[in-house]
Parts: sequence; structure tokens; C-alpha cells
Amino acid sequence: MSRMSLMLNAAVAAGLLVAAGGAAQAQSSTITSEQAMAAMRAVQAYAKNDGSNPSIAVIDRDGNIVLELRGDNAAPHNIGLAERKAFTANKFKMKTIEWRDATKAGTPRADERNTPNAIPLGGGVPVMLGSDVIGAVGVSGTRGGQEGDTAGAQAGADAIMKTLKRLEARN
Amino acid sequence: MQRMITALVLGVTGIFVVSAGFALGQQMLKQYTLQTLAENDISVDQALTVAQGAINECKKDNSAITVAVVDHEGSVRFIVRGDGATPEMVDAARRKAYTARTFRQATSAWLERTALDAVDDKGKRIDLYGQRLLDNTIAEKGGVPVIWHGDAIGGVGVSGSKGGGEADEACAKAGVNAIADQLF
Repeated sequence: MSRMSLMLNAAVAAGLLVAAGGAAQAQSSTITSEQAMAAMRAVQAYAKNDGSNPSIAVIDRDGNIVLELRGDNAAPHNIGLAERKAFTANKFKMKTIEWRDATKAGTPRADERNTPNAIPLGGGVPVMLGSDVIGAVGVSGTRGGQEGDTAGAQAGADAIMKTLKRLEARN
Repeated sequence: MQRMITALVLGVTGIFVVSAGFALGQQMLKQYTLQTLAENDISVDQALTVAQGAINECKKDNSAITVAVVDHEGSVRFIVRGDGATPEMVDAARRKAYTARTFRQATSAWLERTALDAVDDKGKRIDLYGQRLLDNTIAEKGGVPVIWHGDAIGGVGVSGSKGGGEADEACAKAGVNAIADQLF
């Protein structure tokens, strides 16, 4: 097993070297529209269980919108909030519910809450490739409050991760 | 005898109370219905079907399009950005959808109507160019309204297809056609 993973690592490293040697430009990964759609469907599947119509935002690594969906009968704030949650998760590389707790008033990190567009509310989950953020999912409007929104967004992020793993397996 | 009369009086009073209550309830219900306004709107299911229809049509020449669907107020219902598209494309698609929704016509037709030299049936200048100066509109082809019973319940906008504005519009139309059976 460990030999297998060593070989895999070596192959990946060799691939990276070849890529780095062959091209001088910088490269980065981000998420595709298909992956964003997969995330949306996963959030909707989650929402079906609690009977809600959440609003969903999927952003890429640069924080730009890849997908936005406003749920049926959504409140006016839902879609913008979903986007801000995704942005916050991307920016701070963690679930927004954890970031909210890490930046409570009186703590050393409290000032982070002044970041424009960031929002200390649960429901944003980053999509990580190693230590790299490649995108994020934000959800607003499930029945379970911030915990429910977080679970929904996690389902969306997991769906993207699943497609990444499938790609890895194919390679 | 006395007991029977009492029962009768009580019974009649009961009927009055119940019917009065019923009437009051009906009145309240009536007032309640009058206080809210029911509006028709494109649903999430419809928006997703429309977007998928547009994407499928544009896939025929391998175009990775950006699609926006707006609701009856022109607000975003659904947006998906094509792979490799710039963030500006998202706004262009949204504004196409908005323009088609708010003027209840394909943006190609609206472009003709709002051209500087546009004329009416009698050849008279109509001069609607000012509409192009309104916020959120865009003078580009690729936006189509979603009409239900003569009511614009939404709009769809497409940008980024390889064939340019005309192809954008064809894909947007294919999107609306995907829910044609619901738009009787």
C-alpha cells in the first residue's frame, strides 16, 4: 500500500515536473460548470429531505460566480447571502460556521469580520484540493438554520470532490 | 315542557352563533385573500429545464455558453457560467434575460425597435433609443422572454456561443421550447 502510494506520488511529481518544464505560465485549478451543477443537484437532494427550497451559489477559486440559483419562494436576502457565504468560505479556507466561531467579538481574529463581503454565518463550505481552494459552495434557506445550510453546502462540496476523485481514478 | 322550550331556545341560539361565526370566518377569509396578490412566476424546475435546453442546443457546435434565467421581476433565478467564460459574460447573459423579460420580446426585436432610425408601420420615427439607457438592459442579441398566458413570467439570456448573437438567441429559444408544453 505504502509502495503504491509512493509510486503514485512519484508519478504525480513527475507529471508536475513535465508540466512545469513544458510550460512557463502559471497554472491553477478551478471548478467547471458541470461540477457546479453536480453540487447544485446534491444541495437540492439534501433540501428535498427537509422540504426546503434553498438558494445556492457556487464560486470559483477567484471568487467569481459559476452558478447561482434562487429557490422557489426564497426571501429577498437568500441569494446574495448564499454568495457571500461561498465567498467567505473561499477567502478564509474554512467552513463559514467555523470561521464565525473563530472570529467572535473579543477574540484576536474578531477584526477579520470587517472584511468586505465576508459574512459570519454558517452555510459556506470551501472546496479544497490539498491546501488549495478551488471554489466554494454557499447555501441559504434550508430548514435547519445555519447548521442545516452548512450540511447542504457540505453535500454540494462533497459532490464536487467526488468528481475530482473520479477524474483521479481515470488518470 | 319547560325543558323542551329551553332546549329549543338553546338550539336556535346555537344555530345563530354557529352561522354568525361561519359568516365572520368567511368575511375574514375574503379579506385575507384581498390582502395578498398572487403573481405567476417561473419556477426553479422550469428555470433549470430552460437553461439545460439552451446548453444542450449550444453543445451541438461545442459552445460552452453562459446562461441566465430571470424571474417575472427580472431578478436572477438561475445562472451558470460556461467553462472558460469571463465574469463579464455572466452579467451580459443576465442583462439579456432582463431586457427580454422587461420588454417582453426577444432582444433582437427590441434592438430593431430601439434603433436610432427605427420607424413604425406608417414610416414615422418611433425614437425609443432611450430605452437602451435604462439600467440592466443590454443592446445585444441572445435574450428571449418566457411568456405564459400573455404574461412575461421570466426571461432567458445566453452569451458566449461560437456563432455569436444569432446563435445565442437560437439557443435561448431552444431553452424556452424545452418548457413549451407548460406555456400553453
